[in-house]
Amino acid sequence: MNVIKQVFGTNVRQFTMVFALVALLVGFHLASGGRMLTSSNVQNLISGNAYVLILAIGMVMVIVVGHIDLSVGSVAGFTGMSVALGIHQLGLPWWIAIVLGLLLGALIGAWHGLWLSKLGIPGFITTLAGMMIFRGLTIWISGSVSVPVPDQIHFLGSGYLPEWGPGFTGMNNSTLLLGILAIAVLAWSQISTHRSRVADGETGLDITPVIIRVVLIAAVIAYVTWLFGSGRPGTSFPVPGVILVLLVIVYHVLTQRTIFGRHIYAVGGNKAAAALSGVNVSRVYFLVMLNMSFLAALAGILFVGRATAAGPNDGNGWELDAIAAVFIGGAAVSGGIGTVAATMVGGLVMATLNSGLMLMGVGADKTQVIKGFVLLAAVAFDVYNKSQGRPSVIGRVFGTKGGGQQGTASTAVAEDDLRTEPTPKITAD
Amino acid sequence: MSSINRRTFAAGTAAIAGTFLMSACGGGRGSTSEGSGDGASGFAADSVIGISLPWLGTQNWAEAQTLFETDLKKAGFSPLIQAADNKVAQQQQQIEAMVEQGAKVIVVGPIDGTQLGSALQSAHDAGVKVIGYDRLIENTKAVDAVVQFGSVRTGELQGQSLLDGLAERKGAGPHNIELFGGGPADPNAPNFFKGAMSVLQPKIDDGTLVVVSGETDFQQCATPDWDNGKAQARMDTLLSGNYSDKPIHGVLAPNDGIARAILTSAAGAGQEVPVVDGLDAETESVTSIWEGQQYSTVYKPTKDLVAKTLELIAAYQKGEEPAAPTEKVDNGSIEVPVYALDPVVVTKENAKEVFADDPDRLALLK
Repeated sequence: MNVIKQVFGTNVRQFTMVFALVALLVGFHLASGGRMLTSSNVQNLISGNAYVLILAIGMVMVIVVGHIDLSVGSVAGFTGMSVALGIHQLGLPWWIAIVLGLLLGALIGAWHGLWLSKLGIPGFITTLAGMMIFRGLTIWISGSVSVPVPDQIHFLGSGYLPEWGPGFTGMNNSTLLLGILAIAVLAWSQISTHRSRVADGETGLDITPVIIRVVLIAAVIAYVTWLFGSGRPGTSFPVPGVILVLLVIVYHVLTQRTIFGRHIYAVGGNKAAAALSGVNVSRVYFLVMLNMSFLAALAGILFVGRATAAGPNDGNGWELDAIAAVFIGGAAVSGGIGTVAATMVGGLVMATLNSGLMLMGVGADKTQVIKGFVLLAAVAFDVYNKSQGRPSVIGRVFGTKGGGQQGTASTAVAEDDLRTEPTPKITAD
Repeated sequence: MSSINRRTFAAGTAAIAGTFLMSACGGGRGSTSEGSGDGASGFAADSVIGISLPWLGTQNWAEAQTLFETDLKKAGFSPLIQAADNKVAQQQQQIEAMVEQGAKVIVVGPIDGTQLGSALQSAHDAGVKVIGYDRLIENTKAVDAVVQFGSVRTGELQGQSLLDGLAERKGAGPHNIELFGGGPADPNAPNFFKGAMSVLQPKIDDGTLVVVSGETDFQQCATPDWDNGKAQARMDTLLSGNYSDKPIHGVLAPNDGIARAILTSAAGAGQEVPVVDGLDAETESVTSIWEGQQYSTVYKPTKDLVAKTLELIAAYQKGEEPAAPTEKVDNGSIEVPVYALDPVVVTKENAKEVFADDPDRLALLK
């Protein structure tokens, strides 16, 4: 037990969702007669859900600051349609259309952010308005007709990495390279963390758990790489997956390692206390909303790429999928708690359920029912845990700054977050 | 100590990398693709056949589900039928899941015929035959055939039936009418409208028919998502805006649900029952026709459509070339072979004959 604690960290509860995800994957794999964990299915799983996961990255930040964004589906639909029309009607080169689409997303986010931060209109209302405005605009500009997009955008939404190099690997070498890179980076970061802790004079540190952790990480990534890379020639880890992974890394660092990230948690935990501590609350609100719509634009473009055409109803109900992913990932309804990494696990749990139930031939009606119960159970579990005397949110966030000598330890923790941890484990006893 | 550990680590990593590469070698890229692309080979007679329907919210889709289930089983196949709740992403994933489950043919009733490109392409790449059911599949090369009722023809029948009804019930013209179109995301909807207008436009031009609101453009008349509620709201607005001092004689309705919404709205506005056509012969509309409310419906017997689809599946199974299509239609990427069937107009007069071998609907005519 002690060894397990040392390997996985002191708080095994935080791995619950990861265990649930693994159990679901394996369970469905067995129940569906080995169809779940196949190259083509996991490739589909990622490229079919990348848009929801990207929305969820932005949504977890909005929820952490204590708001909610109901407009993301409409904004995604609107920007996707704008990009498609820009290329199709105005003859813009595809990449200019994408850049303009992303700018449009940021602009829409600034619009929401302005109402929220300057006029104090709650995010729920601002974005409910946005949901109607941009849904209407989508249908308006499209004239209710779907608009096809060119191959370059198909590539972004459902493409595969190139095949190159020697054939003896038996895999897509781009995927292989990414896998090796991922193992190297994660292994190096584990080791260097350990070394810096030793250098800082911490005593009683054993390297064995670190090694076990590195081996485990390497084994998991190697398996995942093989799974994605060994499919039909011409397929690989999907392009939208690569975009997603890049975003997860960027936003993980942004939320866990930067001052802005600390401010997000501070504002969400206790707005008044954060303001008194010198955090510019309205600036945080503004930037978080701006970022959300920017990501919604990206999600919309990727979806359009995968669908090969932008439709007037794109984005209907996506906000709810994204919100569900965030809460299954352990975010608190009251704000202040939730991480990007855990949200991704939450989103993947939903995606896996969807895919697995489909493989078993369960209809969309029953799938909805099951997903509803999973959401309820996940949140109830979290609320129950909180009522068991967990430390306060503000304590978690500012605990690091208070406990000076724990500074490096928290960095180590942040490292772990990249894999799994649902909450910033800062005051962990 | 630290150096030993580092060495251990290096060795460990190397070992893992080694195993990893070895296992990768064994995985074999070539072995997974069976080269099932050549269409002439056929497949096992008990193969999985995937049926992806848009949703089960209207009667025709629910009927298609039951018919496919029984008929495919009767023919010895293993049917795998799913409905996508009208969500495009859901349908894409369903199609991909069907490929995973080894489907040899996937029959798709698309939610939006333009938005399945990637999913169908990967199905096609895996050697699966793709049949579009009831709606054209656009903007992709990955479609082998489309089975549907001629949609322009359907529209013509609707327009003609409206004219017949006006002559029969409302006497000599000029008649006040309004026009409704179907869901704009459904490629059939503009064709229905086009077909109907090819019959109605000459009469509008010569003054026999008057569209009081002046809304004669498909985009103005369209009903997003085929949503009855939206049609009813539009009809309410049209009636209060244009018909406070005059009667409405007839309305072009693209399907039965919208037809009933129009009738409800007209009744609410205190209008006499206008002549309204329809589509699909839904239970409620058949009753309504029998009671003299809705004038007619265009019946597209789901069983004919399913039977034609099964013919194609049987031909693919034997590896034969299916019978020649009715026409080839440009879907934006290729010329798709389309098998078009002729629908039937049902009014109170001929209802008993048309439904003679359909006990469920015949029971309504009491």
